[in-house]
Amino acid sequence: MMFFLEKKDLPELLRRAGAFFEIIAPVPINGEPQLVSWKGGDLALSSPNPLMPPTRLFLPPRETLFAYLQESGLYTFEVPEVGNRLIVGVRPCDLQALSMLDRIMLSDPADELYSKRRRSTAIIALNCTEPSDSCFCAQMGAGPEADEGFDLLLTDLGERYLLETGSPAGIMLANLSEELLERGDDAEKRRLMRESRERIMSARPWLSQDRMRSRLREIDWRSLSKECISCGGCSFVCPTCHCFTIADLGLPDGERIRCADSCILSGFHRMASGANPKARPEERLLSWYMEKLEHMLIRTGMPGCVGCGRCDRVCFSGLHRTDIFR
Amino acid sequence: MDAIETTCVYCGCGCGLYLHVENNRIIAVTPSMKPPASGRLCAKGWLLHGFVNHPERLREPLIRRGDRHVQTSWSEALSFIASSFAEIKRDYGPDALAVLTSAKATNEENYLLMKLCRAALGSNNIDNVARLCHAPTLFALGSSLGSGSMTNPIESLLYSDVIMITGSNTTEQHPAVALHIMEARRNGARIIVMDPRRTQMAEIADLHLQMRPGTDIALLNAILNIVIQEGMIDEEFIRSRTEGFDDIRDRLAEYTPEVVERICDVPAELIRDAAVMYGGAEAAAIVYAMGITQHAHGTDNVQAIVNLALATGNLGRDGSGIYPLRGHQNVQGACDMGALPDYYTGYQRVSEFREKFEDAWNVELPVSRGRSAIEIMSSAGSDIRGLYISGENPALSYPDSSRIREALESLDLLVVSDIFPTETTRMADVILPVASFAEKYGTVTSTERKVQLIRKAIDPPGSALPEWVVAARLLEIFGVSSDYNSSADVMREIAALTPSYGGISHERLERGGIHWPCPTQEHPGTPVLYRDGFLRGRAVFRHVDQRSLDDERFTLIIGRSQYHFHTGSMTRRVSILERELPEAFVDMNPKDAAALGIRNGTGLILESERGTIRARARLSDGVREGILFMPFHFRESPANLLTKWQLDQFSKIPALKMVSVSIRREDA
Ligand code: SF4
Ligand code: SF4
Ligand code: SF4
Ligand code: SF4
Repeated sequence: MMFFLEKKDLPELLRRAGAFFEIIAPVPINGEPQLVSWKGGDLALSSPNPLMPPTRLFLPPRETLFAYLQESGLYTFEVPEVGNRLIVGVRPCDLQALSMLDRIMLSDPADELYSKRRRSTAIIALNCTEPSDSCFCAQMGAGPEADEGFDLLLTDLGERYLLETGSPAGIMLANLSEELLERGDDAEKRRLMRESRERIMSARPWLSQDRMRSRLREIDWRSLSKECISCGGCSFVCPTCHCFTIADLGLPDGERIRCADSCILSGFHRMASGANPKARPEERLLSWYMEKLEHMLIRTGMPGCVGCGRCDRVCFSGLHRTDIFR
Repeated sequence: MDAIETTCVYCGCGCGLYLHVENNRIIAVTPSMKPPASGRLCAKGWLLHGFVNHPERLREPLIRRGDRHVQTSWSEALSFIASSFAEIKRDYGPDALAVLTSAKATNEENYLLMKLCRAALGSNNIDNVARLCHAPTLFALGSSLGSGSMTNPIESLLYSDVIMITGSNTTEQHPAVALHIMEARRNGARIIVMDPRRTQMAEIADLHLQMRPGTDIALLNAILNIVIQEGMIDEEFIRSRTEGFDDIRDRLAEYTPEVVERICDVPAELIRDAAVMYGGAEAAAIVYAMGITQHAHGTDNVQAIVNLALATGNLGRDGSGIYPLRGHQNVQGACDMGALPDYYTGYQRVSEFREKFEDAWNVELPVSRGRSAIEIMSSAGSDIRGLYISGENPALSYPDSSRIREALESLDLLVVSDIFPTETTRMADVILPVASFAEKYGTVTSTERKVQLIRKAIDPPGSALPEWVVAARLLEIFGVSSDYNSSADVMREIAALTPSYGGISHERLERGGIHWPCPTQEHPGTPVLYRDGFLRGRAVFRHVDQRSLDDERFTLIIGRSQYHFHTGSMTRRVSILERELPEAFVDMNPKDAAALGIRNGTGLILESERGTIRARARLSDGVREGILFMPFHFRESPANLLTKWQLDQFSKIPALKMVSVSIRREDA
């Protein structure tokens, strides 16, 4: 179903949804868009996509799996609770990353916390009418328009939004604000999305998945990686990255935590003997791109890069420019 | 979910970042887009969420009973501290008391601890960790130029044509500065690295002068000598803005490239290339860190840098300047706040400004000369009987660790505040649990003199308190004015007493950081110093000479790694950082190793005049023959057991950077 929603009415629609969900949305904090609990103030829906990918709400960079308490030799465990959430403003690239993560984290045996969070979260996606310079989702087949994976979908038409439903939960959410909605059509949206797609394509007309894959082994990773400081930033912001490590902190009481790990870091590859097959940054960078462009594709049927451009935004050495595939 | 913008707790770069918080826990970190981070962080920054919520955090005040520490209440702990200090003061006089403040604490906390030491305890024995890193900078830049701090902001490096880096492993220790250097390089700037080790910066540099360690003065003097010979000095600048050039000009003549080649073991040609490159630049910057300062001739090293910059007029303009890189988040601020034996806030000398502070605080202030950190330690148990250490771990970070441990053990009262148990808290009579950077409000001053806010993101664990609250409560017990409801109140008092911070307030900082000096509310701050002249009128040249070096088989250079910070009390609790570097290593040239039958991973015993430690060898052609390198983060291989109490005569910094050692295989 398609509706028009006046921009000024979006907060009211969210407020009503707030009776059932914690609303998480991009909000300007000291001038920068951040994904936080929305408490009725300004939204940052027309800012660039926040650096922290929404996929990290399902697999946080640091989370407690459970706390353990020891009493006279017996252990009891406390598992964190998961509440209902509605994430607003998820971009098509991140939506695609999320469905790729689903194929990994929910395949047998499903990750318990991830699947709990996934089940209790609803999503209002946002099509991109104003892509950033670093975006190349169109070339990766991930954006700038979402076609599935959301409960509701917004497209900014200027004065108003086009609101589309994508699931029974989305229809229910729309029904809560029925009188704010007006039946609509997607003629304007289609025009805007065509323009947006063209903008992204024309910024890098030569870029394609095939192009990237065939260039992988030709790139001089060694000289490219000379300035890489192995900060891990590229993998910490990548919406499809999902490696983690687990540690037990504290004795006799404490907690088992899970935190984001990164194959960009050398210690990730070091073996128990001390030998390291990927001791040099150029080896790790190549393997990172192979993982994104080849291995994830084989494993999930979807490419591991959705073209969000975040790795480029945080890289010290500026080496994640798509130019390297030219 | 919440996201709170704050400032990184580790190095002095002062990167802005957002802490993402869920249920009073930090779950993620992302960089702020504002400078100097501009959307980037180093691995320590990205993984800042790793230690704050660690279950080993100190949660309750602890007090020594026999050889155990037992839990106590804040009021009991504080009144015990106050009465013990008062007793020592009565029996031995106020000069038997001392305070060491923390480069991890905020400006407000350093200020209140300084006030506590001077106004409540009545002693000028106050110092901070800057004594171990940039005391020579404070002395040399202060006496030559007028201010002992970085002359230009980090972003100014983007305007440099040439950047000379000496004694700094910038990519690992000051990543945000490295970021700017690399960006300048991509835009055409040329890079000169002077370092005995082939660091990552050296790899990408245009010139790498891989000199013998400890020969910085000879090298810098030779460079200046060539610059003079080639007529590349800025005569107008020298005439109008400096004094003393003629005195040094003649004495430099003996530092010819050929003579210096023999001292430094760097080809004369390379020295000449570096001189011509630096001397020929429109705007050239010199970046340095602990490789320059942590020597018994640290002040002279810095002076050699100052001479070179002055002679070429490379001060007071964008892209020029001298960049002493500060190692801790707030080591600049700790000095600014007067946590120094001879200064009140803003480098107002105790000898000149005592009355001003007496009037403001309404107490009589001590006149006796204060002791520096190293002097405090060396007289602990004799002249010094009571010591308050805020968030530092001298048992691992100071030279000659066994001597430090003895000193700390012989005190009548040792109070240590920290966020985690450390080698030093273990020896304390009272342990105070304090809030981490993520659990309090306040300001910190980064290496570029930029005062920035830290904001509270979560509650402290247990009954831990922000240290400014602890200091304020102690002040109250001693009957000194301490009517603060927030750290913003403390900053108001600092601003009123400190000309360079006069225009700084938390309200203003909400809109972004400000570079001091910032004398008034309307003043925009001063990113570049000396645009219109030097504070002391004319800048001064001072000639410095190379000292002779011990001729030992092995010189051990001691430094840090990019994945750990200082004594590791925070980073070693971050599982991924600990995984990256779980133990110390000794970098060694493969030729040396072959001669001694040492392989990668062989256990080594290192022995100096002072002590013996163990660590594994890591073969690397990045170090010259005869040179070893190891980090000091690890309590299992405490490098500072080896170092000596050899002090720089001007700044009293100990020679922590290098020590002569002998090595042997563990199984031999
Ligand atoms: S590889 Fe880079 S552009 Fe691709 S999804 Fe990851 S962060 Fe985005
Ligand atoms: S990459 Fe595409 S979908 Fe993602 S934010 Fe940019 S334009 Fe939107
Ligand atoms: S963000 Fe850039 S510098 Fe950091 S690890 Fe990735 S490639 Fe290296
Ligand atoms: S460069 Fe320094 S301030 Fe920036 S993130 Fe790293 S440790 Fe923190």
